[in-house]
Amino acid sequence: MRIRAPKDFWSGVMFCAFAAVALFAARGYSMGSAGRMGPGYFPLLLAGLLGALGAALIGRSILVGGEPIARFHVIPLTVIAAAICLFGVLIEPVGLIVSLAVLTVMSAWVGAQFRLAETVALAAALILFCVGVFVYALGLPLNLWPSL
Amino acid sequence: MDVISNLGLGFSVALTIQNITYCLIGALLGTLIGVLPGIGPVTTVAMLLPISFTLPPESAMILLAGIYYGAQYGGSTTAILVNIPGEASSVVTTIDGHAMARQGRAGPALGIAALGSFFAGCAATLLIALAAPPLATIALQFGPAEYFSLMVCGLIAAVVLARGSLLKAIAMVVLGLLLGLVGTDVNSGARRFNFGMTGLADGIEFVAISMAIYGIAEVVYNLEQKQAAKMVTGALGRVWPSFADVKQCAGSILRGTGLGAILGVLPGGGALLASFAAYTVEKKVASAPRQFGRGDIRGVAAPESANNAGAQTSFIPMLTLGIPGNPTMAMMIGALMIHGIAPGPRVMTDRPGLFWGLIASMWLGNLMLVVLNLPLVGIWVRLLRVPYRLLYPVIIVFCCIGAYTINNKAFDVFVMSFFAIFGYVALKLECEPAPLILGFVLGPMMEENLRRALLISRGDPMVFLQEPISLAFLVLAAGLLVVMAVPAIRIRREEALKE
Repeated sequence: MRIRAPKDFWSGVMFCAFAAVALFAARGYSMGSAGRMGPGYFPLLLAGLLGALGAALIGRSILVGGEPIARFHVIPLTVIAAAICLFGVLIEPVGLIVSLAVLTVMSAWVGAQFRLAETVALAAALILFCVGVFVYALGLPLNLWPSL
Repeated sequence: MDVISNLGLGFSVALTIQNITYCLIGALLGTLIGVLPGIGPVTTVAMLLPISFTLPPESAMILLAGIYYGAQYGGSTTAILVNIPGEASSVVTTIDGHAMARQGRAGPALGIAALGSFFAGCAATLLIALAAPPLATIALQFGPAEYFSLMVCGLIAAVVLARGSLLKAIAMVVLGLLLGLVGTDVNSGARRFNFGMTGLADGIEFVAISMAIYGIAEVVYNLEQKQAAKMVTGALGRVWPSFADVKQCAGSILRGTGLGAILGVLPGGGALLASFAAYTVEKKVASAPRQFGRGDIRGVAAPESANNAGAQTSFIPMLTLGIPGNPTMAMMIGALMIHGIAPGPRVMTDRPGLFWGLIASMWLGNLMLVVLNLPLVGIWVRLLRVPYRLLYPVIIVFCCIGAYTINNKAFDVFVMSFFAIFGYVALKLECEPAPLILGFVLGPMMEENLRRALLISRGDPMVFLQEPISLAFLVLAAGLLVVMAVPAIRIRREEALKE
């Protein structure tokens, strides 16, 4: 047995994994009956269908050929995902200005053509714009500075 | 005449200073992001959803709609001048549009694109005003069984018209439906799929998941692509097309508008499909088709009219049935729900000001675009010099602020980060995200209608086949699937979508 279509194969694995998680999480939900659907009825139906579709993809990937998967660029993905999480962690305790500075610099740093001076200018411009538009013009309740 | 009094009401809403301003902002912002490659209307509408929350619903919808059709105007500018599509729906415009630019006829190309779009915009606005009320009246008769089958049919059709593997697209729909069910079940109050996290009690935030997939994941994906833009600078030439140009294009504009208007209404349709189809048809029916590809002005007029017509008529199913045909319409439904308005046929009767105001604003926005766009071309071109390394941190920042401010919950930012990773993996595996978003929006509605239909029939699933309208939708859906399974047609579909 050989995987001929890696994209289909791994998509199938991904869908099966989601289906498995859903089935596991929904194991305690009451099914009810068709006439009186419980909270578990439709989710289990969907999870079963998703698992079947995933299995079909895996099956097809062994029978029919396909393109290889392009390389995953893990570093930009990880850094940007981490920068976003960090923004979520920082926004309440340290306020908008510092969190925006961290987010902008981290995001810009991971790009191919990072230039420090330019990034600092960009961060400053973004902070000015966001504070002006979101906090003053739209009145969104955001802390600007660390709340002491 | 009802239409006239309705449009009168619409203009009385759209012509307030506040709404004119939002229409203008939406149209200009739409043009701006249309010009810039690497950021599209879906991303922008997603980023603006949290802001639209602070506006009255009429203004919010007017602003967001302006972005979608404004982007169709902007996309052509980049396509013609730089030979890269500013929007996916302008891909075919690059062929003849850029050829014209190289011949020093960039001006007329831009001019005919704007004029064609304006004509298409006017025609589509009129079509919405005429077609929406009867459709909504029919939809009001629908029971839960009809609605469930309509959603099945809509989702299947959206999948069939999407690019790539059918199997993956259906799986993405099902996954989207499943993700839409996360949170508290309205019927029983049971908490589903919350994995012990209180942040998921109200479900996955729509704004967070859509920005993650269309904003962040796209950014990460774009960062890998090498981009080298060659600019055609120098004189634009006369911007206004000559009378001979207009005469030559009249048929193309009419055909493009008609085709675009029809394809826009279909689920999975909208601007993208419309422009491709219009170009293909134009090549078949036009006289002297050999000119196509070498700077034929009709090759600009037809797809640009079609994409604008399609962008606008795709509002018809969203406004009358509450069913999104493409991801941008899913965002519009999200915007309505943020304002506590249940999308569906009742919007027109319960909120006539919103409904007709939105339609009137579309015509107004098209007028603004055609008047403003041509003189502003110089500015848009200069904006193209903004490198992506400066643009993408801006997208990330707006997404983060948006995800946080929608509920003032840091949890939604973490959700966005999670789905950004998922979205990137999906892109790499060539799983189209559009079906997922459509499924996500429809998930709870579908469950509710299934539940009600089966409650009425006492658990007999035959109810979906006994109601004639419901049966028709299901037969249509099954037919589409069967047709797609036939290999010969599948190959032709792939060719048609590739072309």
